[in-house]
Amino acid sequence: MSCSPFDLRDYYFKELAEHDRRLMEAHVKTCAGCREELERLRGVETALLALPDEEIPQRIGFVSDPVFQPSALRRWWDALWGSAARLGFASAAMLSIALVVFALTRPVPQASAPAPAIDRTALEADFTKRLNDAVQKAVAASEARQARQTQELLATSEKREALEREAVMVRVQEYLEVEKKRMNRMILASNEYGEAR
Amino acid sequence: MIFRAVEDADLIRKARRGEVEAYNLLISRWERRVYNYLLRIVANREDALDLSQDVFLKAYQNLRKLDDPARFGPWLYRIAHNEAYSLFRKRRPEGETAELQPETLEGEATPGGNAVFPIELTLAVSNALHKLSADQRETIILKIYQGFKFEEIAEIVACPVSTVKSRLYTALDLLKAELAPVKARGVS
Repeated sequence: MSCSPFDLRDYYFKELAEHDRRLMEAHVKTCAGCREELERLRGVETALLALPDEEIPQRIGFVSDPVFQPSALRRWWDALWGSAARLGFASAAMLSIALVVFALTRPVPQASAPAPAIDRTALEADFTKRLNDAVQKAVAASEARQARQTQELLATSEKREALEREAVMVRVQEYLEVEKKRMNRMILASNEYGEAR
Repeated sequence: MIFRAVEDADLIRKARRGEVEAYNLLISRWERRVYNYLLRIVANREDALDLSQDVFLKAYQNLRKLDDPARFGPWLYRIAHNEAYSLFRKRRPEGETAELQPETLEGEATPGGNAVFPIELTLAVSNALHKLSADQRETIILKIYQGFKFEEIAEIVACPVSTVKSRLYTALDLLKAELAPVKARGVS
């Protein structure tokens, strides 16, 4: 028996995997010892089967007595929880019902009244008026800004001219003072020369 | 191959919904096998019948706990195994720890309709079986007479597959030695 690649008894009782069984089949064909052991096992099994089954002396059966039966609700509840598929289906059905109820009972959004006929001309006039107003306001603002800038520039220019004029006058005054002093000195020198002659 | 228009799994589903007739049909498919399994374990027809009724009642009450209807057979035999060993424990005298050994079945040597096998072989097999330990005998019954796979037997008796194989092969060696003289006389 030890010459076989697997337990010969496992092979005899068909407990080997298909691949192992085929290997054992090939081995048994070539091994007289294993064939003899198989015959011995077969002999014991045949002897054991000499003890036949007996008929049951009294048939077993249950009566359908409503007293012992669970209520219809209880059976439905048990059946529901006894099957994952049913439970899943019931959940899906409940979800569907909930969706339908929600869809039917939720407040209807304010239906938008039929859009009034649009007065295109009035709309265009309004748009043009608003545009003109905006443009006029922008132009006025721009002109005011330019005027203010011009005035500032003029004021600055006048101030600068006044300063320049004052500086010229100071210089002229200084020049005249110098000239006056020179004239006085010339007069004095002339007088001295005349006295000296 | 036996063609069954309605599979056991369908009957189990119907029985779970409270259809007693579906369960009765299921019983009719299994009662003979379960009765003979129990008969070979407890070796008493009355006990075997009472236990069989208890087994099917318990199975009905716990049918919703069966996760996979395809495993109904091993599950049912697990209940039968528990019922039989519960009976053994009840009947065992206080403080006794010896191996559980049912009495030899009265009238076992003259089973009805046994025209194929000589009575001497039937007696020899019956005696040889009762020389095995309770565990070994149950393993032989489940494998040879009931045709369960090792994994199913392991599930029924709640032990590893390796233990099942060990019990079975040891029992076969013992039976081979016990039955050799009978076979040598050419009875089989």
